[in-house]
Amino acid sequence: MKNFGWDHRTRGRWHAGLALAAVASLASGCMSGGPAPGSVRNTAQTAPADLQLACASAAATALGVDSGKVLPVGSSQLDAQSYQVDLDAGGARATCVVDAAGNVKSVTKA
Amino acid sequence: MIFSFNNRSATANGSDRRIARRRFAIAAALVAAVVGTTLAFAAQTQIFDPQTRKWVDYDKKKARKYYAAHKEVPEAFKRQIVKFRTAEKPGTIIIDGNQHFLYLVQPGFTAIRYGIGVGREGFGWAGIVRVGRMEEWPTWTPPAEMVARDPNAVPFANGMPGGPDNPLGARALYLYEGDQDTIYRIHGTPEPWSIGLDVSSGCIRMNNDDITDLYSHVDVGAKVVVLMQGASLYKGV
Repeated sequence: MKNFGWDHRTRGRWHAGLALAAVASLASGCMSGGPAPGSVRNTAQTAPADLQLACASAAATALGVDSGKVLPVGSSQLDAQSYQVDLDAGGARATCVVDAAGNVKSVTKA
Repeated sequence: MIFSFNNRSATANGSDRRIARRRFAIAAALVAAVVGTTLAFAAQTQIFDPQTRKWVDYDKKKARKYYAAHKEVPEAFKRQIVKFRTAEKPGTIIIDGNQHFLYLVQPGFTAIRYGIGVGREGFGWAGIVRVGRMEEWPTWTPPAEMVARDPNAVPFANGMPGGPDNPLGARALYLYEGDQDTIYRIHGTPEPWSIGLDVSSGCIRMNNDDITDLYSHVDVGAKVVVLMQGASLYKGV
């Protein structure tokens, strides 16, 4: 067999180095990726609660309704940066679009 | 059936329940007229399984197993301070049943977020109510319907004293609409594993440490906003 110039001691150090690199890589999470164990999510793609409330507040002002009479009754994610929130505003229906930063983009009475 | 009142936490008498049932039925009819078709979707909590590297449904079995192994709920359902941009006053309670979170608004656009268990399918509700009264180690009185169908409830027909086995847990906040008891409560539970699930008959349950913490921060009269959960009908505001 052809000898590449590595004696058994060199080869041993190289193997140990490989093993150490693998352990370090695993420990740093480079090979694991993904959510942490115990992470939870919900299949409902609803708007975060504070964004729903931002829409309710904006709708109360825009529609001239007492803020205590405006309730979010549904929401959905439009795209990565925005949500639609359906509102009951004192018995009338309204729709609001809000971005992920909490900026209300529109309020429309249905 | 659009709404059920076989609520473990309910203490209202039959007459109150009939009135409440009529009011909810009227509200439901209004909703049908105003909102039109209610979108039906099943919100499901999922947990990441590190062994299969897949998201799996976090159901009762999985929740019991997780709690038995870790002696606590998943990280997301633990009490924590979060950013919360709202114009609602500090001390207001916001309930997001879909995500199983209860927020207690704090100054500086923050909130204390707690994990909760909420109504199972068909038992959800939404509305703007208030904390009408509060009790430590509350008595639980099963509604007559429950006593009639569940022999285990019979011994407690006249009330189960507060204690570690009481379904209401360590504290209860009784939710009112005006001066009327809605028969819904935010309360503790002897089943802490059930946080994150849709398990109740409409009440909001928290683990006993969390409801005790919430109780210490809240006053009677506090506003409570319950956001729409799933496809449930809501009672008018």
